[in-house]
Amino acid sequence: MGATFAYLTAVLIMNAVGRTITTTVNGWSSIRTCGQPGNGILVRAACAKALPVVNVFEEAAYWTTTRDGSGHRLSGQNDYVLHFPAGQLPPNDAFWSLTVTDVGGYMVNDSQGRSSFNDRSSLAQGADGSIDLYLQRGAPTGHEQNWLPTPAGSFKLMLRAYLPGPAILAGTYRVPQVVKAQ
Amino acid sequence: MNRLILKYGYPVTAVILVIFAWVIYTRISRGSDMVTLALAAIIVWALGTPAFIYFWPRITVTGFKRAIVQRGFSGGPIPVNTLYAEPTISSASASNGSLMGTGTDDVLYIGGWLDVGQGPLVLHVPDMAGRYYSVQFTDPSKSSNFAYVGKRTTGTKAGDYVLSGPGWKGTIPNGMTQISSPTDSALVIGRVFVEGDSDLPAAYALAKQIQLAPLKQ
Repeated sequence: MGATFAYLTAVLIMNAVGRTITTTVNGWSSIRTCGQPGNGILVRAACAKALPVVNVFEEAAYWTTTRDGSGHRLSGQNDYVLHFPAGQLPPNDAFWSLTVTDVGGYMVNDSQGRSSFNDRSSLAQGADGSIDLYLQRGAPTGHEQNWLPTPAGSFKLMLRAYLPGPAILAGTYRVPQVVKAQ
Repeated sequence: MNRLILKYGYPVTAVILVIFAWVIYTRISRGSDMVTLALAAIIVWALGTPAFIYFWPRITVTGFKRAIVQRGFSGGPIPVNTLYAEPTISSASASNGSLMGTGTDDVLYIGGWLDVGQGPLVLHVPDMAGRYYSVQFTDPSKSSNFAYVGKRTTGTKAGDYVLSGPGWKGTIPNGMTQISSPTDSALVIGRVFVEGDSDLPAAYALAKQIQLAPLKQ
C-alpha cells in the first residue's frame, strides 16, 4: 500500500515538475530542457515521463496542443483554422511537420488518408502569402488543398521542426493559436 | 506504458483508491492493529517516492531496451550491438502498440541497444549527401542524450565513430572519431529523413548502411 502511494506521489511530483519546465505560448506547449546531459534528478524523471528518450531541443523542437486559442479542448465536433502569416511557418534546416493524433499521441486511422502536413506539402497561399490550415472532420469547400482531417472525438496536434532555426532556439518564434471557426 | 498512464491515469487511480478504502475497512472491522500498518505504509511511502523518481528514467529506457531486444520494430528482435532500420515510415495503420507509433512520418527510424562493456564499437555512417539524419545516443541511467552523430553535429559525409565505454584505454584508428559513453550500455535511435514515397527506397538504402561493428584492435 505504501509502495502504491509512493508510486502515485512520484507520478504527481513528476507531472508537477513537468508543468514547470513546460512553456505554453498561444496554447502550444513545448519543453526545451529534456534529453540534455546535466539535468537534475527531478527534471530527468519528469522528462522521461512526459517525453521518453526525446531529442534535445537543438535537434528537434516539438510543440503540442490539445486546446484551441480560447482554452477549449480540440474536438472533431468543431472546425478550426491554423493561420500562419507569410513566412511564419516554423523556421528550420531540415523539415517541419504538423500531425493530428489521438490524445494518446497515436496517429489516427482516418479514411481520408492524410494525417499530417509538412514542408513538402503543396499548400494554397493567400494573396498576402499567409497560409490557412483547415482542421476539421468534413472537407472545407474550396479549401480541400489545406485540409487536415480530424478524428471524431478529442484530438491532439503536434508540430515538429527538425534542426530548428535561430528564431525558435532564441524563443522569439511563436506558433499561432488554433482558432475555432465560427 | 506512459501512453496508457496518460490515457487511463484518472480512472486507474480512482480504482486503486477504492480498493485501498475497502482493504482498510475490512482490516479495521477484523480488528487489525492500524497504527503498525499505517507506520509501515508511511515509511515505505517516504522511501519509495524518491526511489521511483530516481529510477524512472532508467525504467523508461529499460522499457525501450526490452522492446528492442525482445520484440524489435517490425523485423523481429534486434540483437544487442546491432542496428535495425525500419523499412517504412510510421503510419496510422501500424500505430497502436508499435514502438514508434507516436513518431513522425517524415523519417525512417533506426534502433539498437549497445553494450560496450566487452570493447568499443565502430559506428559507420554513409555519405548522406546533405540529407537530414541523426543518430542519438542515450545514457539509460539518466535518459540523457550524451552524443549525436548527424547533420547538426558532424555533417553528412561518410564517417566512422568509435563508441567506447567508461575506462577504456586504447588508440583510436586514424580517421575515426571517439565518442565516450558514460555507461557500458546505450540506447541508439537513428532518424533518416524521407522526402516522400518516391524517396523511400533511397532513404532506406542509406539507413541500412548505418551499421555497428566491433573495433578491430
